[in-house]
Amino acid sequence: MRASRIVQAIALGLALAWSLAPIYWMLATSFKNELEASALDPTLWPHAATLDNYRGLVGGTLPFPTFFVNTVVTCLATAAVAVAIALPAAYALSRARFRSRGAVAYGILVSRMLPLVVLLAPLYLLLLHAHLLDSNLGLVVGFTTFGLPFAVWMLKTFIDAVPIEIEESARVDGYPRWQILLRVVVPLILPGVLTTATFVFMDAWNNLIFPLSFMTTLEKQTLPAALVVSFTGQFKTDWGGMMAAATVTTLPLMVAFFAVQRSMVRGLTAGAVAGV
Amino acid sequence: MARISLRNVGKRYDDVVALAECNLEIADREFVVLVGPSGSGKTTLLRIIAGLEHMSAGDVWFDERRVNDVDVGDRDIAMVFQNYGLYPHMSVYDNMAFGLRRRKLAPADIDARVRRTAQLLDIAPLLARRPRQLSGGQRQRVALGRAIVRDPAVFLLDEPLSNLDAHLRVQMRAEILKVHRAVTATAVYVTHDQVEALTMGDRIVVMHQGRIQQVGTPAELYDNPVNRFVAGFIGTPAMGFIECSVERTGNEVALRAGDARVGLAPQRAQAVDRASTVVVGVRPERLSLVDDASAHADTLTVRGVVQVVEMLGSEQYVHVEVPAGMLTARVTRDRPVKPEEIVTLRAAARHLHLFDAATGAALTAPVRGEI
Repeated sequence: MRASRIVQAIALGLALAWSLAPIYWMLATSFKNELEASALDPTLWPHAATLDNYRGLVGGTLPFPTFFVNTVVTCLATAAVAVAIALPAAYALSRARFRSRGAVAYGILVSRMLPLVVLLAPLYLLLLHAHLLDSNLGLVVGFTTFGLPFAVWMLKTFIDAVPIEIEESARVDGYPRWQILLRVVVPLILPGVLTTATFVFMDAWNNLIFPLSFMTTLEKQTLPAALVVSFTGQFKTDWGGMMAAATVTTLPLMVAFFAVQRSMVRGLTAGAVAGV
Repeated sequence: MARISLRNVGKRYDDVVALAECNLEIADREFVVLVGPSGSGKTTLLRIIAGLEHMSAGDVWFDERRVNDVDVGDRDIAMVFQNYGLYPHMSVYDNMAFGLRRRKLAPADIDARVRRTAQLLDIAPLLARRPRQLSGGQRQRVALGRAIVRDPAVFLLDEPLSNLDAHLRVQMRAEILKVHRAVTATAVYVTHDQVEALTMGDRIVVMHQGRIQQVGTPAELYDNPVNRFVAGFIGTPAMGFIECSVERTGNEVALRAGDARVGLAPQRAQAVDRASTVVVGVRPERLSLVDDASAHADTLTVRGVVQVVEMLGSEQYVHVEVPAGMLTARVTRDRPVKPEEIVTLRAAARHLHLFDAATGAALTAPVRGEI
């Protein structure tokens, strides 16, 4: 009994160390000076801790705050657009009865089943012809393409859980469908709506390949893409600056994740067992 | 205020017929109860009247208006659902006011109506609460209040008492009837509980397998069931049935089950016609336990083995297996009875219900008014 608990503790400790080690390395490096960060014999913790790397983000040559704002704006817009489109779609899939419902529901998921890179070329061409390349709007379109299917399915799961009598009461009370959705269903699934929005937001935030491909002007770039383009030079890499930028990129995501992780797990697992 | 007419209403789901040829006239302000076992189509019929369910055939009329294609919200109905269907995110007040606001009433008018209705239902102190802060009985009252506050023409109730405990249910039955008298709506009430149906309905509609079996007042259904299903469904304990062969000697017609033999009055003998067997139904209160086993021509006297005795305090139900059937007798406790005991049951011939052995249709009702 005791032996098995020790084994469990060791296993969990290893898993935890494995997961946290890169994050620790990111944090530690972000506080090292240039010399220490690129030393051939790396130090486990910053011997001469400095905030220079973080100061460099704000006052340096790179428009780091602009990257941050770009990312926040496009990701928030993506979350808003995706939820606004997904809500009525999810409501129809949940409540309407039509012959091809199952086919439509899975059809929506198709773009999610494809690897991101497969979407890249067609999206690029579409944005090119729509004159949306190198624009925040184009980026929002791209992010939404990828985030929407998941948003529809997740919201459908939450709507499925609302007892139908509540909606029927509102119909008897004389309300049209869209008002029932907004005044009865949405308030009841508000945690689900926020969770879905956060999920889409995080998805967009993590997306590296779309901004790298669609954006050409450095000043319009998002954080993850800017990290890659800005800190790796031909002759040297600014590890400390990169890790400080990475930390700033990660923090909002971690906050968002911890805010909704409980209901996110509920939404995900509910989706796993609920049929169409 | 509305008359409701259902004309040839039918509903099918792919190959399954859920409702067939339902014809029903409900008078203005009447309280009609749809009763039947689960799957009988009673809730589907109610939802068709509400407009929540599409019908496959037929017409629904409210007064002179054909409402087949009228949306739920425009039918001027109110509905109480089995699970109440209250808006969980709104206070009791807002639950009741929600429908009124849709109708663009003046806020002062809405306030007056909500408070008046809350008074009627004794929920005035609860107006600020949310549904989850209420007990089952209180939620039921709020659901009723939300339905009547709009003063609808038609008031539909789908098994509204089935989630309440027995005691509260009896209390709420009276409450609903009180509310119905206070408003001017025509009420249609669905239940699977025939006691609820008998005690509440002006008229009762008995449904089975998607068809209306019989429509009538509680007394009509109890005294003159049109078929074996209605006879067995209405009344507690249920009517007992035995299968009898028909014997004809000259002009006389008699029924025989084992040793038991009972003659039929000429008028009823005619109804039996040429049948060789009939099913005899006997209400439990028409049977008595007798010690004298001698047969009389105008009584059915059968011997059988007691299976179960149900003690109800003032009386007892004795379930007896007799040749070709089971009978239940509702008798006083003056004579103690034990399972396995052999007893003799007797019922007057004029109290027997006769049903066609094949179709279950009533052949003749018991003769009333004669000695």
